Amino acid sequence: MDSYTISVLSNIGLFSFLAISAWILLIAGEISFGQQAYFALGAYGAGIATAVWQWPFALGLGFGIVLGAGIGALVAWPAMRLTGVHFAIATLAFAEFLRSGLNIFRYRREVGGYLTGPDGANGFRDIRWAYEAGVEPLGYLILIGGCLLSVIALVACLARGRGMALLRIVGEDPILAAMQGISVARVRIGAAALAGGVAGFGGGLYAHMATYVEPAQFGVMPGVHALAYGLIGGLGTVFGPILGVLVDIGALESLRVFSGYRMIVFGGLVALVLIVRPRGLLDEAALRRGLAWLRR
Amino acid sequence: MLLDLVQNTVDGLAVGAAYGLLALGFTLIFGVMRRLNIAFGPSIMIGIFAGAWLHAEWSVGMVPVFLAVLAGAVITAAYVERISFAAIRGDAALASMASSFAIWMQLEEAVARVFPGRTYGFPTFDGMPMIEIGPVLLRPEYLVMLVTAAALVAALQWGLAHTRFGLELRTLADRPEAARVSGVNVARVAFLTFLLAAAIGGIAGFLIAAADGQITPKIGLWATIKGLIAMVIGGLGSLRGALIGGLVLGVVEANAQWFLGAAGREMTTYALLFLALVLLPAGLAGRTEAGARAEAERRL
Repeated sequence: MDSYTISVLSNIGLFSFLAISAWILLIAGEISFGQQAYFALGAYGAGIATAVWQWPFALGLGFGIVLGAGIGALVAWPAMRLTGVHFAIATLAFAEFLRSGLNIFRYRREVGGYLTGPDGANGFRDIRWAYEAGVEPLGYLILIGGCLLSVIALVACLARGRGMALLRIVGEDPILAAMQGISVARVRIGAAALAGGVAGFGGGLYAHMATYVEPAQFGVMPGVHALAYGLIGGLGTVFGPILGVLVDIGALESLRVFSGYRMIVFGGLVALVLIVRPRGLLDEAALRRGLAWLRR
Repeated sequence: MLLDLVQNTVDGLAVGAAYGLLALGFTLIFGVMRRLNIAFGPSIMIGIFAGAWLHAEWSVGMVPVFLAVLAGAVITAAYVERISFAAIRGDAALASMASSFAIWMQLEEAVARVFPGRTYGFPTFDGMPMIEIGPVLLRPEYLVMLVTAAALVAALQWGLAHTRFGLELRTLADRPEAARVSGVNVARVAFLTFLLAAAIGGIAGFLIAAADGQITPKIGLWATIKGLIAMVIGGLGSLRGALIGGLVLGVVEANAQWFLGAAGREMTTYALLFLALVLLPAGLAGRTEAGARAEAERRL
Protein backbone atom coordinates (compact mmCIF):
# COMPACT_ATOMS: atom_id res chain seq x y z
CA MET A 1 0.00 0.00 0.00
CA ASP A 2 1.30 3.45 -0.78
CA SER A 3 1.51 6.03 1.95
CA TYR A 4 -1.45 7.97 0.58
CA THR A 5 -3.85 5.02 0.89
CA ILE A 6 -2.52 4.30 4.36
CA SER A 7 -3.16 7.84 5.53
CA VAL A 8 -6.68 7.88 4.05
CA LEU A 9 -7.51 4.55 5.71
CA SER A 10 -6.03 5.70 9.02
CA ASN A 11 -8.20 8.81 8.89
CA ILE A 12 -11.28 6.71 8.17
CA GLY A 13 -10.44 4.52 11.17
CA LEU A 14 -9.86 7.44 13.53
CA PHE A 15 -12.97 9.32 12.45
CA SER A 16 -14.96 6.12 12.99
CA PHE A 17 -14.26 6.38 16.73
CA LEU A 18 -15.76 9.87 16.81
CA ALA A 19 -18.71 8.79 14.66
CA ILE A 20 -19.43 5.73 16.85
CA SER A 21 -19.25 7.98 19.90
CA ALA A 22 -21.91 10.34 18.50
CA TRP A 23 -23.93 7.33 17.32
CA ILE A 24 -24.08 5.81 20.82
CA LEU A 25 -25.69 8.99 22.11
CA LEU A 26 -28.06 9.12 19.12
CA ILE A 27 -29.23 5.59 20.01
CA ALA A 28 -29.81 6.80 23.59
CA GLY A 29 -31.95 9.60 22.15
CA GLU A 30 -29.54 12.50 22.55
CA ILE A 31 -28.03 14.71 19.86
CA SER A 32 -24.47 15.71 20.70
CA PHE A 33 -22.58 18.45 18.89
CA GLY A 34 -19.70 18.03 21.31
CA GLN A 35 -18.08 14.58 21.02
CA GLN A 36 -14.93 16.26 19.67
CA ALA A 37 -14.33 17.41 23.26
CA TYR A 38 -13.73 13.84 24.44
CA PHE A 39 -11.63 13.16 21.35
CA ALA A 40 -9.54 16.17 22.40
CA LEU A 41 -9.39 14.96 26.01
CA GLY A 42 -8.19 11.56 24.83
CA ALA A 43 -5.60 13.13 22.54
CA TYR A 44 -4.22 15.47 25.20
CA GLY A 45 -4.52 12.93 28.03
CA ALA A 46 -2.80 10.09 26.20
CA GLY A 47 -0.25 12.49 24.70
CA ILE A 48 0.71 13.92 28.09
CA ALA A 49 0.88 10.45 29.57
CA THR A 50 3.34 9.07 27.02
CA ALA A 51 5.30 12.20 26.08
CA VAL A 52 5.56 14.05 29.41
CA TRP A 53 5.12 11.37 32.02
CA GLN A 54 6.85 8.72 29.86
CA TRP A 55 4.16 6.13 30.52
CA PRO A 56 3.98 3.05 28.30
CA PHE A 57 1.79 3.52 25.23
CA ALA A 58 -1.04 1.17 26.28
CA LEU A 59 -1.28 2.82 29.68
CA GLY A 60 -1.36 6.25 28.04
CA LEU A 61 -4.17 5.20 25.72
CA GLY A 62 -6.02 3.80 28.73
CA PHE A 63 -5.61 7.11 30.51
CA GLY A 64 -7.14 8.87 27.48
CA ILE A 65 -10.11 6.48 27.52
CA VAL A 66 -10.66 6.91 31.26
CA LEU A 67 -10.41 10.68 30.92
CA GLY A 68 -12.95 10.74 28.07
CA ALA A 69 -15.35 8.40 29.86
CA GLY A 70 -15.02 10.10 33.25
CA ILE A 71 -15.49 13.65 31.99
CA GLY A 72 -18.24 12.39 29.69
CA ALA A 73 -20.15 11.02 32.67
CA LEU A 74 -19.41 14.14 34.72
CA VAL A 75 -20.83 16.42 32.01
CA ALA A 76 -23.82 14.16 31.39
CA TRP A 77 -24.75 14.12 35.08
CA PRO A 78 -26.11 17.70 35.17
CA ALA A 79 -27.08 17.69 31.47
CA MET A 80 -29.05 14.44 31.43
CA ARG A 81 -32.39 16.12 32.08
CA LEU A 82 -31.95 18.07 28.87
CA THR A 83 -33.15 16.65 25.58
CA GLY A 84 -33.17 17.62 21.92
CA VAL A 85 -31.76 21.03 21.05
CA HIS A 86 -31.02 21.84 24.69
CA PHE A 87 -28.76 18.83 25.09
CA ALA A 88 -27.16 19.55 21.72
CA ILE A 89 -26.31 23.12 22.75
CA ALA A 90 -25.13 22.02 26.20
CA THR A 91 -22.68 19.58 24.62
CA LEU A 92 -21.58 22.26 22.17
CA ALA A 93 -21.07 24.67 25.08
CA PHE A 94 -18.91 22.15 26.93
CA ALA A 95 -16.86 21.34 23.84
CA GLU A 96 -16.18 25.01 23.09
CA PHE A 97 -15.45 25.65 26.77
CA LEU A 98 -12.90 22.88 26.73
CA ARG A 99 -11.37 24.06 23.45
CA SER A 100 -10.94 27.62 24.69
CA GLY A 101 -9.56 26.17 27.93
CA LEU A 102 -6.96 24.18 25.97
CA ASN A 103 -6.00 27.44 24.27
CA ILE A 104 -4.60 28.67 27.58
CA PHE A 105 -3.59 25.27 29.00
CA ARG A 106 0.20 25.13 29.42
CA TYR A 107 1.90 22.12 30.94
CA ARG A 108 5.48 21.93 29.71
CA ARG A 109 8.06 19.80 31.44
CA GLU A 110 11.63 19.01 30.61
CA VAL A 111 11.96 15.51 29.17
CA GLY A 112 15.38 14.40 27.98
CA GLY A 113 16.63 17.97 27.64
CA TYR A 114 13.60 19.18 25.68
CA LEU A 115 10.55 21.06 26.86
CA THR A 116 7.55 18.88 26.05
CA GLY A 117 3.86 19.30 26.68
CA PRO A 118 0.81 21.34 25.67
CA ASP A 119 1.64 24.99 25.02
CA GLY A 120 -1.74 26.70 24.83
CA ALA A 121 -2.82 27.79 21.38
CA ASN A 122 0.60 26.80 19.97
CA GLY A 123 -0.44 23.20 20.38
CA PHE A 124 1.27 20.12 21.71
CA ARG A 125 4.29 18.91 19.74
CA ASP A 126 6.41 15.78 19.75
CA ILE A 127 4.07 13.03 20.85
CA ARG A 128 6.69 10.69 19.52
CA TRP A 129 5.87 7.24 20.82
CA ALA A 130 5.23 5.71 17.37
CA TYR A 131 8.50 7.19 16.06
CA GLU A 132 10.57 6.08 19.04
CA ALA A 133 9.06 2.60 19.07
CA GLY A 134 9.75 2.33 15.34
CA VAL A 135 6.13 1.74 14.33
CA GLU A 136 5.67 2.25 10.59
CA PRO A 137 2.49 3.94 9.24
CA LEU A 138 1.20 0.56 8.05
CA GLY A 139 1.75 -0.96 11.48
CA TYR A 140 -0.05 1.96 13.05
CA LEU A 141 -2.94 1.53 10.61
CA ILE A 142 -3.24 -2.12 11.70
CA LEU A 143 -3.17 -0.95 15.32
CA ILE A 144 -6.00 1.52 14.62
CA GLY A 145 -7.96 -1.23 12.87
CA GLY A 146 -7.48 -3.58 15.81
CA CYS A 147 -8.61 -0.98 18.31
CA LEU A 148 -11.65 -0.19 16.17
CA LEU A 149 -12.49 -3.90 16.04
CA SER A 150 -12.32 -4.05 19.82
CA VAL A 151 -14.84 -1.19 20.04
CA ILE A 152 -17.11 -2.93 17.52
CA ALA A 153 -16.80 -6.14 19.57
CA LEU A 154 -17.72 -4.24 22.73
CA VAL A 155 -20.83 -2.82 21.06
CA ALA A 156 -21.67 -6.29 19.75
CA CYS A 157 -21.42 -7.64 23.31
CA LEU A 158 -23.76 -4.87 24.46
CA ALA A 159 -26.16 -5.77 21.66
CA ARG A 160 -26.16 -9.46 22.65
CA GLY A 161 -26.77 -8.59 26.27
CA ARG A 162 -29.23 -6.08 27.64
CA GLY A 163 -27.12 -2.95 27.12
CA MET A 164 -28.15 -1.96 23.61
CA ALA A 165 -31.83 -2.72 24.28
CA LEU A 166 -31.64 -0.44 27.34
CA LEU A 167 -30.10 2.35 25.26
CA ARG A 168 -32.72 1.98 22.56
CA ILE A 169 -35.72 1.92 24.85
CA VAL A 170 -34.44 4.99 26.72
CA GLY A 171 -33.81 6.67 23.38
CA GLU A 172 -37.16 5.82 21.84
CA ASP A 173 -39.43 6.41 24.81
CA PRO A 174 -37.93 7.48 28.15
CA ILE A 175 -41.31 7.48 29.93
CA LEU A 176 -42.01 3.90 28.89
CA ALA A 177 -38.48 2.99 29.95
CA ALA A 178 -39.01 4.55 33.39
CA MET A 179 -42.28 2.65 33.75
CA GLN A 180 -40.39 -0.59 33.12
CA GLY A 181 -38.28 0.25 36.14
CA ILE A 182 -35.27 1.36 34.13
CA SER A 183 -33.29 4.22 35.63
CA VAL A 184 -33.28 6.54 32.63
CA ALA A 185 -30.74 8.86 34.24
CA ARG A 186 -28.31 6.03 34.91
CA VAL A 187 -28.60 4.67 31.37
CA ARG A 188 -28.04 8.15 29.90
CA ILE A 189 -24.96 8.75 32.06
CA GLY A 190 -23.70 5.29 31.16
CA ALA A 191 -24.20 6.02 27.47
CA ALA A 192 -22.35 9.34 27.82
CA ALA A 193 -19.46 7.61 29.60
CA LEU A 194 -19.29 4.92 26.91
CA ALA A 195 -19.44 7.54 24.16
CA GLY A 196 -16.80 9.66 25.90
CA GLY A 197 -14.54 6.62 26.33
CA VAL A 198 -14.81 5.63 22.66
CA ALA A 199 -14.04 9.20 21.57
CA GLY A 200 -11.12 9.35 24.02
CA PHE A 201 -9.78 6.08 22.60
CA GLY A 202 -9.82 7.55 19.10
CA GLY A 203 -8.29 10.78 20.35
CA GLY A 204 -5.36 8.98 21.97
CA LEU A 205 -4.66 7.05 18.78
CA TYR A 206 -4.95 10.24 16.75
CA ALA A 207 -2.46 12.13 18.90
CA HIS A 208 0.16 9.41 18.49
CA MET A 209 -0.34 9.19 14.75
CA ALA A 210 -0.23 12.96 14.15
CA THR A 211 2.49 13.58 16.81
CA TYR A 212 1.08 17.11 16.99
CA VAL A 213 -2.31 18.33 18.24
CA GLU A 214 -3.66 21.82 18.73
CA PRO A 215 -6.94 23.14 20.14
CA ALA A 216 -8.09 24.49 16.76
CA GLN A 217 -8.39 20.91 15.46
CA PHE A 218 -11.20 20.18 17.89
CA GLY A 219 -13.67 22.84 16.77
CA VAL A 220 -17.37 22.41 16.09
CA MET A 221 -16.92 21.07 12.55
CA PRO A 222 -15.55 17.60 13.37
CA GLY A 223 -18.31 17.19 15.96
CA VAL A 224 -21.06 18.04 13.50
CA HIS A 225 -19.43 15.75 10.93
CA ALA A 226 -19.34 12.89 13.43
CA LEU A 227 -23.03 13.34 14.15
CA ALA A 228 -23.87 13.44 10.45
CA TYR A 229 -21.96 10.20 9.80
CA GLY A 230 -24.34 8.16 11.94
CA LEU A 231 -27.36 9.81 10.38
CA ILE A 232 -26.08 9.21 6.84
CA GLY A 233 -24.77 5.69 7.42
CA GLY A 234 -27.78 4.57 9.40
CA LEU A 235 -28.80 4.17 13.01
CA GLY A 236 -29.49 0.42 12.83
CA THR A 237 -26.06 -0.96 13.69
CA VAL A 238 -22.61 0.16 14.73
CA PHE A 239 -21.60 -0.24 11.09
CA GLY A 240 -23.83 2.71 10.19
CA PRO A 241 -21.49 5.42 11.46
CA ILE A 242 -18.47 3.59 10.01
CA LEU A 243 -20.25 3.40 6.67
CA GLY A 244 -20.94 7.12 6.98
CA VAL A 245 -17.22 7.83 7.46
CA LEU A 246 -16.33 5.50 4.58
CA VAL A 247 -18.83 7.18 2.30
CA ASP A 248 -17.67 10.65 3.28
CA ILE A 249 -13.89 10.33 3.28
CA GLY A 250 -13.83 7.49 0.74
CA ALA A 251 -16.25 9.08 -1.71
CA LEU A 252 -14.62 12.47 -1.29
CA GLU A 253 -11.23 11.01 -2.12
CA SER A 254 -12.58 9.09 -5.12
CA LEU A 255 -14.54 12.13 -6.31
CA ARG A 256 -11.23 13.84 -6.96
CA VAL A 257 -12.21 14.06 -10.62
CA PHE A 258 -14.70 16.72 -9.55
CA SER A 259 -11.78 18.55 -7.90
CA GLY A 260 -13.22 21.81 -6.55
CA TYR A 261 -16.82 20.62 -6.79
CA ARG A 262 -16.49 17.56 -4.57
CA MET A 263 -18.53 18.90 -1.68
CA ILE A 264 -21.19 20.20 -4.04
CA VAL A 265 -21.62 16.75 -5.59
CA PHE A 266 -21.28 14.93 -2.28
CA GLY A 267 -23.61 17.22 -0.33
CA GLY A 268 -26.26 16.80 -3.00
CA LEU A 269 -25.85 13.02 -2.93
CA VAL A 270 -26.26 12.91 0.85
CA ALA A 271 -29.34 15.12 0.70
CA LEU A 272 -30.89 12.83 -1.93
CA VAL A 273 -30.10 9.69 0.09
CA LEU A 274 -31.74 11.20 3.15
CA ILE A 275 -34.93 11.93 1.18
CA VAL A 276 -35.23 8.26 0.23
CA ARG A 277 -33.89 6.80 3.49
CA PRO A 278 -34.49 9.24 6.36
CA ARG A 279 -32.91 6.91 8.92
CA GLY A 280 -29.73 6.48 6.92
CA LEU A 281 -28.39 3.87 4.52
CA LEU A 282 -28.18 0.98 7.00
CA ASP A 283 -31.39 1.61 8.94
CA GLU A 284 -33.31 -0.82 11.12
CA ALA A 285 -35.51 -2.01 8.24
CA ALA A 286 -32.47 -2.79 6.09
CA LEU A 287 -30.94 -4.65 9.04
CA ARG A 288 -34.08 -6.73 9.54
CA ARG A 289 -34.25 -7.59 5.86
CA GLY A 290 -30.58 -8.52 5.88
CA LEU A 291 -30.98 -10.77 8.91
CA ALA A 292 -34.05 -12.44 7.40
CA TRP A 293 -32.09 -13.10 4.22
CA LEU A 294 -29.25 -14.62 6.24
CA ARG A 295 -31.60 -16.94 8.13
CA ARG A 296 -33.24 -18.22 4.97
CA MET B 1 -14.22 50.59 35.57
CA LEU B 2 -17.89 51.44 35.84
CA LEU B 3 -17.68 53.50 32.67
CA ASP B 4 -16.05 50.54 30.90
CA LEU B 5 -18.90 48.36 32.09
CA VAL B 6 -21.49 50.78 30.71
CA GLN B 7 -19.63 51.21 27.42
CA ASN B 8 -19.23 47.45 26.98
CA THR B 9 -22.87 46.90 27.81
CA VAL B 10 -23.96 49.41 25.18
CA ASP B 11 -21.72 47.77 22.55
CA GLY B 12 -22.85 44.35 23.69
CA LEU B 13 -26.51 45.30 23.41
CA ALA B 14 -26.00 46.35 19.80
CA VAL B 15 -24.17 43.17 18.79
CA GLY B 16 -26.68 41.25 20.90
CA ALA B 17 -29.52 42.77 18.90
CA ALA B 18 -28.03 41.16 15.78
CA TYR B 19 -27.67 37.85 17.64
CA GLY B 20 -31.30 38.25 18.65
CA LEU B 21 -32.35 38.59 15.01
CA LEU B 22 -30.45 35.41 14.12
CA ALA B 23 -32.15 33.66 17.04
CA LEU B 24 -35.50 34.98 15.83
CA GLY B 25 -34.99 33.24 12.51
CA PHE B 26 -34.12 29.97 14.25
CA THR B 27 -37.11 30.30 16.58
CA LEU B 28 -39.55 30.81 13.70
CA ILE B 29 -38.29 27.75 11.84
CA PHE B 30 -38.01 25.60 14.96
CA GLY B 31 -41.42 26.70 16.25
CA VAL B 32 -43.21 25.82 13.03
CA MET B 33 -41.26 22.74 11.94
CA ARG B 34 -39.78 21.44 15.21
CA ARG B 35 -36.68 20.71 13.20
CA LEU B 36 -33.28 22.32 13.30
CA ASN B 37 -32.05 24.06 10.15
CA ILE B 38 -28.31 24.22 10.71
CA ALA B 39 -27.89 25.58 7.18
CA PHE B 40 -29.50 28.80 8.39
CA GLY B 41 -26.18 30.60 8.90
CA PRO B 42 -24.72 29.41 5.58
CA SER B 43 -27.76 30.66 3.65
CA ILE B 44 -27.17 34.08 5.21
CA MET B 45 -23.53 33.74 4.17
CA ILE B 46 -24.60 33.25 0.53
CA GLY B 47 -26.65 36.46 0.78
CA ILE B 48 -23.76 38.43 2.24
CA PHE B 49 -21.37 37.22 -0.44
CA ALA B 50 -23.91 38.10 -3.13
CA GLY B 51 -24.03 41.63 -1.69
CA ALA B 52 -20.24 41.89 -1.47
CA TRP B 53 -19.88 40.68 -5.05
CA LEU B 54 -22.41 43.24 -6.31
CA HIS B 55 -20.58 45.99 -4.47
CA ALA B 56 -17.14 44.94 -5.72
CA GLU B 57 -18.29 44.53 -9.32
CA TRP B 58 -20.41 47.64 -9.82
CA SER B 59 -19.67 49.63 -6.63
CA VAL B 60 -23.38 50.11 -6.05
CA GLY B 61 -24.80 51.85 -2.98
CA MET B 62 -26.06 50.35 0.26
CA VAL B 63 -29.65 49.80 -0.87
CA PRO B 64 -28.90 47.47 -3.82
CA VAL B 65 -26.35 45.63 -1.65
CA PHE B 66 -28.98 45.17 1.04
CA LEU B 67 -31.50 43.87 -1.51
CA ALA B 68 -28.89 41.46 -2.90
CA VAL B 69 -28.16 40.12 0.59
CA LEU B 70 -31.85 39.64 1.22
CA ALA B 71 -32.46 37.97 -2.14
CA GLY B 72 -29.42 35.68 -1.78
CA ALA B 73 -30.45 34.55 1.71
CA VAL B 74 -34.10 33.99 0.77
CA ILE B 75 -33.38 32.10 -2.46
CA THR B 76 -30.85 29.86 -0.73
CA ALA B 77 -33.30 29.23 2.10
CA ALA B 78 -35.96 28.23 -0.42
CA TYR B 79 -33.50 25.69 -1.85
CA VAL B 80 -32.72 24.34 1.65
CA GLU B 81 -36.40 24.10 2.51
CA ARG B 82 -37.30 22.18 -0.66
CA ILE B 83 -34.48 19.64 -0.35
CA SER B 84 -33.95 19.22 3.39
CA PHE B 85 -37.40 19.87 4.84
CA ALA B 86 -40.29 19.63 2.37
CA ALA B 87 -38.89 16.49 0.73
CA ILE B 88 -38.24 14.63 4.00
CA ARG B 89 -41.25 13.31 5.84
CA GLY B 90 -42.37 15.10 8.95
CA ASP B 91 -41.37 12.60 11.63
CA ALA B 92 -37.73 12.39 10.53
CA ALA B 93 -36.41 15.47 12.32
CA LEU B 94 -32.87 14.12 12.51
CA ALA B 95 -32.75 13.41 8.78
CA SER B 96 -33.63 17.05 8.10
CA MET B 97 -30.83 18.18 10.36
CA ALA B 98 -28.29 15.89 8.67
CA SER B 99 -29.57 16.93 5.26
CA SER B 100 -29.29 20.64 6.07
CA PHE B 101 -25.73 19.87 7.17
CA ALA B 102 -25.00 18.32 3.77
CA ILE B 103 -26.43 21.39 2.05
CA TRP B 104 -24.26 23.53 4.32
CA MET B 105 -21.17 21.73 3.00
CA GLN B 106 -22.42 22.40 -0.53
CA LEU B 107 -22.94 26.09 0.12
CA GLU B 108 -19.53 26.47 1.72
CA GLU B 109 -17.77 24.87 -1.21
CA ALA B 110 -19.81 26.94 -3.64
CA VAL B 111 -18.66 30.13 -1.93
CA ALA B 112 -15.08 28.86 -1.78
CA ARG B 113 -15.22 28.23 -5.55
CA VAL B 114 -16.49 31.68 -6.43
CA PHE B 115 -14.52 33.59 -3.77
CA PRO B 116 -11.21 31.79 -3.36
CA GLY B 117 -9.67 34.34 -0.98
CA ARG B 118 -10.08 34.45 2.76
CA THR B 119 -11.62 37.82 3.48
CA TYR B 120 -13.61 40.20 1.34
CA GLY B 121 -14.55 43.80 1.86
CA PHE B 122 -18.12 44.78 2.56
CA PRO B 123 -19.50 48.32 2.23
CA THR B 124 -19.93 50.19 5.49
CA PHE B 125 -22.21 53.04 6.51
CA ASP B 126 -19.84 55.93 5.84
CA GLY B 127 -20.15 59.48 6.98
CA MET B 128 -22.32 58.90 10.01
CA PRO B 129 -21.01 60.69 13.09
CA MET B 130 -20.22 58.93 16.37
CA ILE B 131 -23.03 59.43 18.84
CA GLU B 132 -22.03 60.69 22.29
CA ILE B 133 -24.33 60.16 25.22
CA GLY B 134 -22.41 61.77 28.06
CA PRO B 135 -19.13 59.87 28.29
CA VAL B 136 -20.52 56.82 26.48
CA LEU B 137 -19.87 56.47 22.74
CA LEU B 138 -22.29 54.70 20.45
CA ARG B 139 -21.18 53.67 16.96
CA PRO B 140 -23.81 54.71 14.40
CA GLU B 141 -23.86 51.17 12.95
CA TYR B 142 -24.77 49.91 16.39
CA LEU B 143 -27.63 52.37 16.66
CA VAL B 144 -28.93 51.12 13.30
CA MET B 145 -28.70 47.53 14.60
CA LEU B 146 -30.60 48.31 17.79
CA VAL B 147 -33.34 50.25 16.04
CA THR B 148 -33.73 47.68 13.27
CA ALA B 149 -33.95 44.79 15.71
CA ALA B 150 -36.53 46.56 17.85
CA ALA B 151 -38.59 47.57 14.82
CA LEU B 152 -38.44 44.06 13.32
CA VAL B 153 -39.53 42.37 16.54
CA ALA B 154 -42.37 44.85 16.96
CA ALA B 155 -43.49 44.36 13.36
CA LEU B 156 -43.25 40.60 13.73
CA GLN B 157 -45.26 40.57 16.96
CA TRP B 158 -47.91 42.71 15.32
CA GLY B 159 -48.00 40.60 12.18
CA LEU B 160 -48.30 37.36 14.13
CA ALA B 161 -51.18 38.78 16.15
CA HIS B 162 -53.12 40.59 13.43
CA THR B 163 -52.70 38.90 10.05
CA ARG B 164 -54.18 35.72 8.67
CA PHE B 165 -50.72 34.32 7.96
CA GLY B 166 -49.69 35.11 11.54
CA LEU B 167 -52.68 33.24 12.87
CA GLU B 168 -51.92 30.24 10.68
CA LEU B 169 -48.28 30.30 11.75
CA ARG B 170 -49.20 30.36 15.44
CA THR B 171 -51.71 27.55 15.01
CA LEU B 172 -49.11 25.45 13.28
CA ALA B 173 -46.57 26.19 16.02
CA ASP B 174 -48.96 25.53 18.93
CA ARG B 175 -51.07 22.64 17.66
CA PRO B 176 -49.96 21.14 14.34
CA GLU B 177 -52.85 18.64 14.22
CA ALA B 178 -55.41 21.37 14.88
CA ALA B 179 -53.88 23.44 12.09
CA ARG B 180 -54.18 20.52 9.69
CA VAL B 181 -57.82 19.72 10.47
CA SER B 182 -58.88 23.37 10.28
CA GLY B 183 -57.67 23.64 6.71
CA VAL B 184 -54.36 25.45 7.12
CA ASN B 185 -52.12 24.75 4.13
CA VAL B 186 -49.31 23.42 6.29
CA ALA B 187 -46.72 23.07 3.51
CA ARG B 188 -47.32 26.63 2.31
CA VAL B 189 -47.17 28.19 5.79
CA ALA B 190 -43.99 26.24 6.58
CA PHE B 191 -42.37 27.36 3.32
CA LEU B 192 -43.29 31.02 3.86
CA THR B 193 -42.08 30.88 7.47
CA PHE B 194 -38.77 29.57 6.22
CA LEU B 195 -38.46 32.47 3.79
CA LEU B 196 -39.48 34.97 6.48
CA ALA B 197 -36.81 33.57 8.81
CA ALA B 198 -34.22 33.82 6.04
CA ALA B 199 -35.19 37.43 5.36
CA ILE B 200 -34.75 38.30 9.06
CA GLY B 201 -31.43 36.45 9.08
CA GLY B 202 -30.41 38.30 5.93
CA ILE B 203 -31.11 41.64 7.58
CA ALA B 204 -29.05 40.59 10.60
CA GLY B 205 -26.24 39.37 8.34
CA PHE B 206 -26.24 42.61 6.36
CA LEU B 207 -26.01 44.72 9.52
CA ILE B 208 -23.21 42.60 10.97
CA ALA B 209 -21.22 42.63 7.73
CA ALA B 210 -21.70 46.39 7.32
CA ALA B 211 -20.51 47.00 10.88
CA ASP B 212 -17.40 44.82 10.41
CA GLY B 213 -16.56 46.03 6.90
CA GLN B 214 -15.23 42.58 5.93
CA ILE B 215 -16.56 39.06 5.56
CA THR B 216 -15.19 35.51 5.49
CA PRO B 217 -16.96 32.23 4.67
CA LYS B 218 -16.70 31.44 8.40
CA ILE B 219 -19.64 33.75 8.98
CA GLY B 220 -21.95 30.84 8.09
CA LEU B 221 -20.81 28.68 11.02
CA TRP B 222 -20.65 31.76 13.24
CA ALA B 223 -24.24 32.81 12.49
CA THR B 224 -25.60 29.30 13.05
CA ILE B 225 -23.82 28.91 16.40
CA LYS B 226 -24.63 32.38 17.76
CA GLY B 227 -28.26 32.15 16.65
CA LEU B 228 -28.72 28.69 18.18
CA ILE B 229 -27.13 29.75 21.47
CA ALA B 230 -29.21 32.93 21.71
CA MET B 231 -32.38 30.99 20.94
CA VAL B 232 -31.69 28.41 23.62
CA ILE B 233 -30.73 31.04 26.24
CA GLY B 234 -33.96 32.91 25.57
CA GLY B 235 -36.14 29.85 25.57
CA LEU B 236 -37.45 27.89 22.60
CA GLY B 237 -40.47 29.13 20.79
CA SER B 238 -40.66 32.64 22.20
CA LEU B 239 -39.92 35.62 19.95
CA ARG B 240 -39.28 37.97 22.83
CA GLY B 241 -37.11 35.29 24.42
CA ALA B 242 -35.01 35.04 21.27
CA LEU B 243 -34.29 38.77 21.36
CA ILE B 244 -33.57 38.76 25.10
CA GLY B 245 -31.31 35.74 24.66
CA GLY B 246 -29.38 37.58 21.95
CA LEU B 247 -29.01 40.71 24.08
CA VAL B 248 -27.83 38.72 27.11
CA LEU B 249 -25.30 36.84 24.98
CA GLY B 250 -24.04 40.10 23.45
CA VAL B 251 -23.64 41.89 26.79
CA VAL B 252 -21.90 38.93 28.47
CA GLU B 253 -19.52 38.52 25.53
CA ALA B 254 -18.63 42.21 25.32
CA ASN B 255 -17.87 42.50 29.02
CA ALA B 256 -15.99 39.20 29.21
CA GLN B 257 -13.92 40.24 26.19
CA TRP B 258 -12.99 43.54 27.87
CA PHE B 259 -12.25 42.27 31.33
CA LEU B 260 -10.90 38.77 30.58
CA GLY B 261 -9.53 38.86 27.04
CA ALA B 262 -10.43 36.68 24.06
CA ALA B 263 -9.73 33.28 25.64
CA GLY B 264 -11.47 34.37 28.82
CA ARG B 265 -14.47 35.56 26.84
CA GLU B 266 -14.92 32.18 25.17
CA MET B 267 -14.53 30.25 28.41
CA THR B 268 -16.89 32.47 30.40
CA THR B 269 -19.53 32.59 27.69
CA TYR B 270 -19.62 28.84 27.23
CA ALA B 271 -19.44 28.07 30.95
CA LEU B 272 -22.36 30.43 31.57
CA LEU B 273 -24.24 28.90 28.66
CA PHE B 274 -23.80 25.42 30.09
CA LEU B 275 -24.91 26.56 33.54
CA ALA B 276 -27.89 28.46 32.11
CA LEU B 277 -29.02 25.35 30.26
CA VAL B 278 -28.73 23.14 33.29
CA LEU B 279 -30.32 25.57 35.74
CA LEU B 280 -32.92 27.16 33.45
CA PRO B 281 -33.76 24.57 30.81
CA ALA B 282 -36.85 26.53 29.76
CA GLY B 283 -34.75 29.60 28.98
CA LEU B 284 -35.02 33.13 30.28
CA ALA B 285 -38.41 33.88 28.74
CA GLY B 286 -39.47 30.35 27.95
CA ARG B 287 -42.18 28.38 29.61
CA THR B 288 -42.21 24.73 30.44
CA GLU B 289 -44.81 22.62 28.70
CA ALA B 290 -46.82 22.34 31.93
CA GLY B 291 -46.71 26.10 32.41
CA ALA B 292 -47.98 26.70 28.89
CA ARG B 293 -50.87 24.29 29.43
CA ALA B 294 -51.78 25.93 32.72
CA GLU B 295 -51.86 29.30 31.03
CA ALA B 296 -54.05 28.01 28.21
CA GLU B 297 -56.49 26.55 30.74
CA ARG B 298 -56.61 29.81 32.67
CA ARG B 299 -57.53 31.64 29.48
CA LEU B 300 -60.32 29.20 28.76
